[in-house]
Amino acid sequence: MNILTMLWKNLVRGYQTLLFPARPRVTPRFRGLVLFDPALCTGCAVCRFRCTSRAIDFKAGKGEFTWSYNPGQCTFCGRCVEGCAEHALKEGHTEHALSQQEAVPPIYTTQGELKKSYTVARRPPAPKPAAPPAAVPPAGAALPSPVTGGAQ
Amino acid sequence: MKLWRRLMCTARRRSPWLFHMNSGSCNGCDIEIVAALSPRYDAEQLGVRLEGSPRHADILCVTGPVTRKAVGAVKTVYDQVLGPKAVVAIGSCPATTNVFIDSRTLDGPLDKHLPVDVFVPGCPPRPDAIIAGVAKAAQILAERGNKPPTTTVAIANAEEAVKP
Amino acid sequence: MTVFNPLVTALARLLIFPGLLFAVPAAWFFLWVERKSVALMQERVGPPFMQPFWDFIKLLGKSTPPRSGIAGLLMRAWPLIAVSAAAGAVGLLPVLPSSGGFEGDLILLLALLELPSICIIAAGFSSRSIFGEIGSAREAALSVSYNIVFLLAIVSIAASQHTFRLDALASAPFTPLHWLGILAILVCLPAKLHINPFSLPHAEQEIYAGPMTEYTGPELAMWELSHGLEWVAGTGLVATLVAPHVSIAWLAACIFVAISFVVVLLLSALAAATARLAIDSSVRFYWQCTLIFAVLAISSAIFVRFRS
Repeated sequence: MNILTMLWKNLVRGYQTLLFPARPRVTPRFRGLVLFDPALCTGCAVCRFRCTSRAIDFKAGKGEFTWSYNPGQCTFCGRCVEGCAEHALKEGHTEHALSQQEAVPPIYTTQGELKKSYTVARRPPAPKPAAPPAAVPPAGAALPSPVTGGAQ
Repeated sequence: MKLWRRLMCTARRRSPWLFHMNSGSCNGCDIEIVAALSPRYDAEQLGVRLEGSPRHADILCVTGPVTRKAVGAVKTVYDQVLGPKAVVAIGSCPATTNVFIDSRTLDGPLDKHLPVDVFVPGCPPRPDAIIAGVAKAAQILAERGNKPPTTTVAIANAEEAVKP
Repeated sequence: MTVFNPLVTALARLLIFPGLLFAVPAAWFFLWVERKSVALMQERVGPPFMQPFWDFIKLLGKSTPPRSGIAGLLMRAWPLIAVSAAAGAVGLLPVLPSSGGFEGDLILLLALLELPSICIIAAGFSSRSIFGEIGSAREAALSVSYNIVFLLAIVSIAASQHTFRLDALASAPFTPLHWLGILAILVCLPAKLHINPFSLPHAEQEIYAGPMTEYTGPELAMWELSHGLEWVAGTGLVATLVAPHVSIAWLAACIFVAISFVVVLLLSALAAATARLAIDSSVRFYWQCTLIFAVLAISSAIFVRFRS
């Protein structure tokens, strides 16, 4: 009887299908196509090192480098994005060039159609911020000397 | 006769029958193909039927990077599919052998052996992407008519994926 | 002139109603109803309305591999024989009152209903494919099992009414034996129409496609059409036996279509609710569970006959 009540409930409730062109929303942190921001890339090539399927290619030239990505080769694991984030943090940057789109990758009809490559000119390293003027202590001011200041 | 040809084009677009072939895949894409027939995504709303014999099907869905042992099988099955046919490469493996690049047991991407019409990237692709790929292949079939596939048409539907 | 009238009626029955002109769209309609109701019961949305028609047209446009020799000729002949037999069976159904018929047309109807499964069995063997042979062997085993019940049920209904004419049977009064026979026919219909739980011979994915493995293109379109016509004939037989006798023609036709539709819905509910039984369970079901009732029916028919 269980199956018959299930059939009846299904008939009464109606279909649960998504009608064709509608697609479901992906969850946050869905790993889609890798997005590259040329303005933020420092050319460290950690992403090429960490890529599991050689989808990212990095060619260093004089004064510029070429970063290319083939989504057809990509397995959407996200290691490149993680590597970029870690490396950027180690260098003291807060932003990094790679991120992953939270959308389903598009279908295509020719081999290699979605390949993208960017040629980025190397930027000179950012100038260090000017050192703050040295604080000149006034003469005889209470600079606690380790010898006298330690009296309990 | 023009009416008959238009009728045939509509029929080919609205009744794509699939045959699914696994050429060495990890089965992730195969599971997603079966999920595409489940109630939530329901490929049958497009008239898709998963057929048991390659002779019944119009669209050959291939998963898996083509292993050396599977090359003969894939070519045989492709020859067994009749009439106007289309090939859909499901997943990143048949398109470019994905993570198995440089493996000694593989024989190239699927492109090397069969004319592929639609590539559905993903590892594994979502079922709705698979259904979109099959719908695109059905449309290609309808436009192709009875001519055998020579070159595939490049359609620029790649979205621009650069951050502003 | 006296020969002319029955000929015209017979041709009208064969070609117009309930013959080809009605039966082919009805076949597509019933195929769609089955797929759609199974889908709705599984929470899916199912195929759009004209789907079996589009399938048919598309299959007509596919090319066929070259088939040589006698086996090839036979392969191309079996689907045509199946379609003509099923269409003839639909044409014989006594839908309209006073549409004529002849003594013994029940026997012809049973023979025509039997031909499509014989064609499927023969087609599997003549396609020289190992999957075809396995599918045909299963179909043959199942056919032997359900046919005994089916034929005993119909013959018991006919014997209790002392007639083998279909229109006399359709307008006969209802007896408990009548209902027992109809119940037996309903139990045999899932196996005849290859739906769950007895869909093993056409087991998709299990033995590739069973007897139909090597068929393609227009031949496959004919097989699908014969399958649809079998639906119309099978449900139509139940409908003519169940329907009350009405003398207005169009009312009788509407009642016929309505009862067939209800039978299709019932069978689809059965198909959605059950899984496919293996060949030993299906054969065992018919021999162990239903044969006893068929034997009871035929023996009570004989008993009634000898008592009256």
